[in-house]
Amino acid sequence: MSIVLTLRDTVRADWKRMVLFGLLFAVLFQCLMMVALIVRFQSLPNYSEFYNWFGNVVWIVQSTPSLRDMLPIINEEWLIEIGKMNYDYGTGISEWSLNVVPTRLMVLFILGATIELCLALMRREECDRTTSTTLRAGAGLGAILVAMTNATMSWVVCCAAPSWVVGLAMLGLSVSTSLALETLGPALNLVGFGLLAATILFLAWRKTRVAPSLKGVPSNA
Amino acid sequence: MISRPSLKRLMLSAALVPLASFASAEKIKIAVGHQSMCTDTYTAGIIIKELGLLEEYLPSDGDYADAEYDISWADYSSGGPITNQMLANKLNFGVMGDYPLIVNGAKFQETDSLRTLYVAGTGYNLKGSGNAIVVPVESDIYSIEQLTGKEVSTPVGSAAWGMLLKAMQDNGIPTSEYVLKNQSPAVGAANIAAGKIDAHSDFCPWSEIMEFRGTGRKIYDGSETGVPYLHGVVVREDFAEEYPEVVEAFIKAVYAAGEWVREDPMRAVTELEGWTGVEKEVLYLYFSEGGHLTLEPSIKTEWVDALKFNHGVLVTEKAIPSLDFDEWITEDYLIAAYEEMGVDYAADKAIMVDPATANAGLPAEIWHSRDGINAYETMPEFLKAMADIRSTAALVNATYVYDVETGLKLFGKTAFWVKVGDDYSTFLRKGQAEEFAAAEGGAVLSYDEAIANYMAEG
Repeated sequence: MSIVLTLRDTVRADWKRMVLFGLLFAVLFQCLMMVALIVRFQSLPNYSEFYNWFGNVVWIVQSTPSLRDMLPIINEEWLIEIGKMNYDYGTGISEWSLNVVPTRLMVLFILGATIELCLALMRREECDRTTSTTLRAGAGLGAILVAMTNATMSWVVCCAAPSWVVGLAMLGLSVSTSLALETLGPALNLVGFGLLAATILFLAWRKTRVAPSLKGVPSNA
Repeated sequence: MISRPSLKRLMLSAALVPLASFASAEKIKIAVGHQSMCTDTYTAGIIIKELGLLEEYLPSDGDYADAEYDISWADYSSGGPITNQMLANKLNFGVMGDYPLIVNGAKFQETDSLRTLYVAGTGYNLKGSGNAIVVPVESDIYSIEQLTGKEVSTPVGSAAWGMLLKAMQDNGIPTSEYVLKNQSPAVGAANIAAGKIDAHSDFCPWSEIMEFRGTGRKIYDGSETGVPYLHGVVVREDFAEEYPEVVEAFIKAVYAAGEWVREDPMRAVTELEGWTGVEKEVLYLYFSEGGHLTLEPSIKTEWVDALKFNHGVLVTEKAIPSLDFDEWITEDYLIAAYEEMGVDYAADKAIMVDPATANAGLPAEIWHSRDGINAYETMPEFLKAMADIRSTAALVNATYVYDVETGLKLFGKTAFWVKVGDDYSTFLRKGQAEEFAAAEGGAVLSYDEAIANYMAEG
């Protein structure tokens, strides 16, 4: 119970920074992906498309009888597509693109806010260096896993649709290996959030353990 | 606790409040996903769109007396995104090749509540022509066996990828003995042109585009796998159940598009060049008499067998979900459409065009830039015409001959020519040409050598 209270107090004290950090993280991650695409392919984007995301979601809700089917389909809906079209053949083929997907933006926002919560908890606690490094590593790994599995780039040679494994393929992992890893995406996402959650709970727990002693009377005064 | 249906109703109601105008009762939205860079889909895509054929066949009486149609077309470079858009119900119809079709059916059957139906074909090549493996034109690779230890690219998941896997298996080359790279058609074609990849496997009409532009040379044609290459039309089941007559109208339009091509192939390829950006000389290889494609929408037993075979390949390679073919494939709409058109479906279904026999004896052709297409019954006549053209420095768009072995239509300039006595034969592959030359006591020549030889010897 005291862990929950600690978390509540931390969130209350830090919610503005968490929201700001979440928004910044989501936006900067899109910028980072675009820069990565431009650097990797040595070309600037030459087309962009905007989609009626809200209207499309309404349409999917209207026409999908099963809730279980509906959610993964909505999860793939795009808001913006920015990429490079190759016009050497036919009427043009999109070679690569960044796809801004609102549901992924939400996940990235939550990730950013969660990282800020971790930082807030770390800021308010003195740990020994080893513990602090372990906590930072755990939180960092969790953040990387979540961010990596929510990348929304598409590269025509890798996947027909935006996929998180495009990032791996761009980094040099073979396409077949990348595709083989694709199904692990949701599991890695969960592991990432699990690591972050564990870090937060541990930090909150330590804080509740440390807090009473700070309130006590110094015995050697 | 809110039950799932209640939750859905709640979400639906909330979402519909500001968008009540969406619920327009009389308007029937028909959205089609097609591929303007895949020749085999044209009769269910770009031709219907540009000629307005669907509008001609859509029902306008009975239950449809007050119907207003809102038809939209979306062009994609592969079948995968079409399936995603169909899942989101932004497309009702999808036109794609055999492997993407299977993925479409399997992905839908993986859901609880959504299904597609495979309702018609568009066109086929009985032996699998359309897919091919191409090498840079200056490469010293002439057969698939030489790809051992080489880098080969293909758009993974496409029909060309499936063909490549089977071709390698058939030739005893395990995946460990070559480097498979995933490249899109455009990237693969660019890399072939730059000599950056040893070989590239692709679907129609990419191999022929590379040959026509003089950057690539075919070393393996899909027909060598013996597995039919086909494309088809899938439709969301909920749409088909609500508007079966619209599905039938679509099939009638597919049939009419095929008739339009057959009526005047030259007109068709000229128009198609404008609509798709693919060179008309390349399209002529597909849509002319003796071309790679047989445009006919029936679903033959052999097609179902081929699709089942392809599904097996995909299961092995990508672990895609299972697919109940009996549930997915239906001829009901085809049969109804044919009946209304007064065409015998059973007769169409029974016809199987094998290029090896169907193209035997077809004349070679020269596409003169000013005079158009001229046909030549014999090779000496063809070579004489080419010699005359060259002597006047007139321009030729393309020339067409047939592979002796498979009956496949080829560009004259990419064929291997064998001179035996006064006659000439043409081959797709160098190995076959050499075998034929050795057996008949002839000599293998290039296209230019054959013309020069004829000019010198007469």
